[in-house]
Amino acid sequence: MSDFANVMVIADQLQNDLQPITFELLGAASELAEKLGVKVQAMVMGHDLGDIPQTLIHNGADEVFVVDEPELADYTTLPYRRAVITVLERFDRPPHIILCGATTIGRDLAPRIAAHLEVGLTADCTELDIGEYIHKGKADPNKVGAFENCLYAIRPSFGESLKARIIGPWKNPQMATARAGAMVPSKPDTSRTGAIIPVKATFTESDFRVKVIQTVRDISKAVDLISAKVIVTGGAGVGGPEGFEVVRDLASVFADSAVGASRKTVDAGWIPYAHQVGQTGKTVRPKVYIALGVSGAIQHRVGMSNSDTIIAVNKDESAPIFQFADYGVVGDLFEIAPLLKKQFQKTMAGATAQ
Amino acid sequence: MSDGLKMVVLLKQVPDTSSKAGVNPDGTVDRARAKKMLNPFDKYALQKALEVKRAVGGEVIAVTMGPPPAISVLSDALEYGADTGYLLTDRRLAASDTLSTAFALHKAIIYIGSDVDMVFTGLQTTDGDTAQTGPQIAERLDMPQITYCDRLEMKDGKALVRRVVEGGHQDLEIPLPALITVANSATPLEPKRFAAVYKVRELSRDKGAYDEKIKTVNLDDIDVDPAKTGLAGSPTVVGKTWKMGDIGGTCVMFQGGAPEHEVEQLVERLTTDERGIEELIQ
Ligand SMILES: Cc1cc2nc3c(=O)[nH]c(=O)nc-3n(C[C@H](O)[C@H](O)[C@H](O)COP(=O)(O)OP(=O)(O)OC[C@H]3O[C@@H](n4cnc5c(N)ncnc54)[C@H](O)[C@@H]3O)c2cc1C
Ligand SMILES: Nc1ncnc2c1ncn2[C@@H]1O[C@H](COP(=O)(O)O)[C@@H](O)[C@H]1O
Repeated sequence: MSDFANVMVIADQLQNDLQPITFELLGAASELAEKLGVKVQAMVMGHDLGDIPQTLIHNGADEVFVVDEPELADYTTLPYRRAVITVLERFDRPPHIILCGATTIGRDLAPRIAAHLEVGLTADCTELDIGEYIHKGKADPNKVGAFENCLYAIRPSFGESLKARIIGPWKNPQMATARAGAMVPSKPDTSRTGAIIPVKATFTESDFRVKVIQTVRDISKAVDLISAKVIVTGGAGVGGPEGFEVVRDLASVFADSAVGASRKTVDAGWIPYAHQVGQTGKTVRPKVYIALGVSGAIQHRVGMSNSDTIIAVNKDESAPIFQFADYGVVGDLFEIAPLLKKQFQKTMAGATAQ
Repeated sequence: MSDGLKMVVLLKQVPDTSSKAGVNPDGTVDRARAKKMLNPFDKYALQKALEVKRAVGGEVIAVTMGPPPAISVLSDALEYGADTGYLLTDRRLAASDTLSTAFALHKAIIYIGSDVDMVFTGLQTTDGDTAQTGPQIAERLDMPQITYCDRLEMKDGKALVRRVVEGGHQDLEIPLPALITVANSATPLEPKRFAAVYKVRELSRDKGAYDEKIKTVNLDDIDVDPAKTGLAGSPTVVGKTWKMGDIGGTCVMFQGGAPEHEVEQLVERLTTDERGIEELIQ
């Protein structure tokens, strides 16, 4: 065994539906744990969790702490908070790192845990790494020193065109939430084995102050920007709600595609918020991202710059998007998009004819 | 004070990126030159508090922590209909991360009164952008919380709220005191009413009365141990920053020729660059 405490992932599940972010967290945790030479631990809270613990093991966890109680059937802050604290109290040494999703659960729960433990928490990270850090600042002598194996919690510093590495090696656990869509998910391996450890939460009455009346979800209606392989996005260049027809039409050429939108088009009411990509929308990393009439402002870019291939169509050759796209076409999107569609279809017809 | 609820709304002053001043064409901000504004997310929080006040009565107290000029977001809040304001300002607060910001603000709330019924915050700020400050204050105050709230109605002394979750929402019932972070799908802030604006402008001419309405406090006033806030109280620091421009490649441009030709060239390039785009076409 190594000298370190481990890397802990707090699994994100809603109504026993393991959220995709969990696999991204496990993917990231496995990399961090390998660098540290420690284990990946996961904790999952809920009720009638079935094979979820096993799935966590297949996806990289070495140990899974399971708090399965009727009181945890629906997510509410305080009982989940208590469950996390109960699990953490089992350890003589706290985990080195705790990762949560930057979801409506993770962003609700993680700050409470961090405040309870009085440790640092970096929000909405897009990259995580391990490295050393030397603190020289004289302003706070208590912090001065050289530290190894620090969590590098990396996030865009919005509006400043910067990425920032946030560090807090002074006290463990070093905590971070990760933005959905930003990290590479784990690949399931059903031959992986690990320990499943049931934990009984010690609730107090005050944990049940909030009552859930109902949870309503319609997954079929959700716009699946996160899992789509191709995203075709319309920006202000589409000119109005009708302009999105061209966007949808191009998207229809691809088998697994979704329609994205810039904030300007969402604010204008041309398309619902669920389609928005960027700082205040979704972070996506499809295989192909086609931006039609999007200028490429930093707040848009942070949500899509990890796409494998970025194709931009813009009539202004000096649009910022051409600074980070892989391929750019300078022209009118209303002319180019239909031509693109035709050309893609032609390629396909050619491929099948062979 | 009268019956009704005692509500605190937390407001933050942030750089105004909608104004041309200090905003570069690519959307990046030159902090020194940028104008300042009320964090747009906080407007939803202020609106919710004002709605509750209209429905069941009470007072709305606007609170901000920041350098002295941040007092303008409090005047602004008064013009929208808030009753009073508190500015927490102190040099020792510099370099606070969310944990220490939340520590200072929770002390400010305790200072305002042990009888605060509701604390409203925005979902997140456009500069700090963490959405952590609210829940961290709730933890310190031992209050239950609702984050991502977009509907709220008072019934029999409890709040019935709707909270947005991935692909849907939760309906919840929460007793007071409670902390609520308000989502940007909630009701937008209503325009200022002339009478309220007039009253605030009148007030600002009378220094004594103005100072009575908007109080300025420092760490000693609200009994904060300086070791718990500012740089000393922050478990995280910014280790390094670098330009986003360092990522991404060089763009291959298709331009100048007939559009048909350029598109043909592009698609040919895409299908020969081994990125596997042809497998995605149906
Ligand atoms: C706090 C904050 C958060 C934000 N969050 C987000 C976010 O999450 N997502 C987001 O997208 N933005 C966000 N923004 C807004 C962002 O700064 C930009 O304003 C926005 O992305 C611009 O949208 P756009 O590219 O569609 O519009 P514009 O900047 O107006 O660009 C339109 C482009 O279309 C081109 N064009 C016009 N007509 C045509 C045509 N016929 N054919 C081809 N090209 C054409 C133009 O040359 C131009 O480049 C945020 C801003 C702030 C301050
Ligand atoms: N300095 C501050 N003064 C007052 N309120 C704040 C301050 N910082 C954060 N808040 C509140 O906390 C919310 C979340 O902020 P943040 O954690 O920075 O994203 C904001 O919308 C505000 O309501």
